[in-house]
Amino acid sequence: MILTLGIDIGSAQSKGMLLGEEGPLNSFECASGVDFKRTALRIQEELLSRSGKSLDEIKRTVATGYGSKSVVFADDMRPDIVCLAKGISSLLPTVRTLIDVGDLYTKILRTDGNGQVHNFLLSGKCAGGSGRILQVIAKVLQIKVEDIGELSLKSKKRVEFSTGCAVFAESEAISRLSQEVTKEDLLAGLHRALAAQFNSLAERVGIEMDVAMTGGGAKDIGLVQSFSEIRKHPILVPPNPQMTAALGAAIIARESLTG
Amino acid sequence: MELTQGKALSTVERLYQDYGFRARELKGQGEKIIGYVCSFVPLELIKASGAIPFRIRGNIFEPITKGDTLLETIVCPYYRSCFDLSVKDKYEFLSGVVIPHGCDSMVRSFSTWSYGLPYSYFHFVNIPTVCEESSFEFFEEELNTFRKSLEKFFGKTITDEELSRVIRIYNENREKVRALYELRKADPPLISGTELTMTLTAGSSLPIEEANDLFDQVVAEVKARGSSPLKKGPRILIDGACLDHIELIKLVEDLGGHVVADAICNGARDHFPKTDVTLPPIKALSQRYLDKVNCPKTYRANKAGTFEGDIANRFGDIGAYAKEFKAEGAILYVYKYCDPFGFEVPARKAYYQSLNLPMLHLEDIYSAGTMGQLRTRIQAFLEMIG
Repeated sequence: MILTLGIDIGSAQSKGMLLGEEGPLNSFECASGVDFKRTALRIQEELLSRSGKSLDEIKRTVATGYGSKSVVFADDMRPDIVCLAKGISSLLPTVRTLIDVGDLYTKILRTDGNGQVHNFLLSGKCAGGSGRILQVIAKVLQIKVEDIGELSLKSKKRVEFSTGCAVFAESEAISRLSQEVTKEDLLAGLHRALAAQFNSLAERVGIEMDVAMTGGGAKDIGLVQSFSEIRKHPILVPPNPQMTAALGAAIIARESLTG
Repeated sequence: MELTQGKALSTVERLYQDYGFRARELKGQGEKIIGYVCSFVPLELIKASGAIPFRIRGNIFEPITKGDTLLETIVCPYYRSCFDLSVKDKYEFLSGVVIPHGCDSMVRSFSTWSYGLPYSYFHFVNIPTVCEESSFEFFEEELNTFRKSLEKFFGKTITDEELSRVIRIYNENREKVRALYELRKADPPLISGTELTMTLTAGSSLPIEEANDLFDQVVAEVKARGSSPLKKGPRILIDGACLDHIELIKLVEDLGGHVVADAICNGARDHFPKTDVTLPPIKALSQRYLDKVNCPKTYRANKAGTFEGDIANRFGDIGAYAKEFKAEGAILYVYKYCDPFGFEVPARKAYYQSLNLPMLHLEDIYSAGTMGQLRTRIQAFLEMIG
């Protein structure tokens, strides 16, 4: 069987997607750690052993993401913007605007449904407006980042969060908690502040329907809902949204094999 | 394939890397060097006074330290870097500094320069920010004031004949820059954007006659390549303020693009407009600097009556360059806190849309540390248009 591999080394999480002739065979995700080279090798090994395939069946590997340069065995490196457009067009072909909430950046792109990028914008150079803040806040609240979404939906009175900066957000959260604001209301406020930042990026790029959200941030149902409330339209989320760029990379690898 | 570097381009590289070494030599031989910033100092007057104009440059590799104790960070990082290097004695060979009203930072920090630096000559060129009949009258008087100030400092009369002679030398320089730009027109270009910006930057540290010779040599050396050894790639126009370092351009070229045109200060904005030699010299200089140098710091009334017509009038030169050099995409590179360009981003964006030219807007601080973040964006942009 002809297999292709897409590897997305993010600043926090690394993702791999093994693609067979009929579609995805297996995916794998782990923390990026500090040794990206080793992480990339681990993803390759895990995917092969989980699928019962051998290395020589992988005919092409495409790397993407912040640490793509460290995937030394990759045949090609492609920008994550390009991989995301490719991935979402395969998962949800009606999507024309994609918001990818990653650890390092939030990226907004416009695509045509065939994986072609028409325009894009990245959040600022600091962590303001990226998904990193969710991890920071989870630590402050001593909860799991996966639980943030459900918890925030229970909010009765959302707090007004004044900052989008991850560093200031941490101290603001601590001072709010000392004023006996509940975790739920705090998280709902944080989601609202983040969603407002996404919206300003989205307005600058221009929204065309349908709109989807991907990246680790899209696993946070509270964040997706908050963005949908501001936009006043539904936001689509594919299954395993954090895998979108890795899938796109694997598709790009396949396309370059078939020409 | 790599571009081969002959003698002329090696000289360029040395002048670029050790910026100011030739001026330091000349100072040692008794010459007077006058520093300046921005596109709006009439260099012809400095040259006619017998001194050598020297463009003050920043350094994106050097963290701003001492400068920030004297200037607040509201000033744009490029200008702060220029000031920082000056207060750290990088340009100790200067006898004076001339600063024009090129932006808010320049006008409001002029006194800080004059207090903070040990030079014996300071002059502020009050160039109008509008471009009407009265502005030209005012600016001619202002140029005469500058002329008198130089005459007083150097103890030498600047005659109209000398000024006319110098204007012709500067016009020759602009023709030579045009000849360098002609080498960008081939696809792939015969000269890389990195080489071109390095050459112009090196030139701004030299007496004009030496710059003219150097540009001639570079043109000859690059022409001798015959055909370009480079691989074809997206042809990019860079738009923005002063880009006196090569790192951004090099990044575009490392990622497979070619910088083939620009609308930047130390590029087309500064070097393309010529001075009309049929007019009296002061009148001619006032027209060149006030009207022909197309910078967002100058407010131009909307004569078209519509937004579309207005942006076509204001940015028409960019569209013309894009067409002439067959640009396939543009990068609008704006420094944080740059007031003239900052205000113009939406209008420029609309203009690129009207041209149907894909545009990437990058906001940056003047630091080599941000190149990794820019890389992500530029890479995606080149893929998008490629």
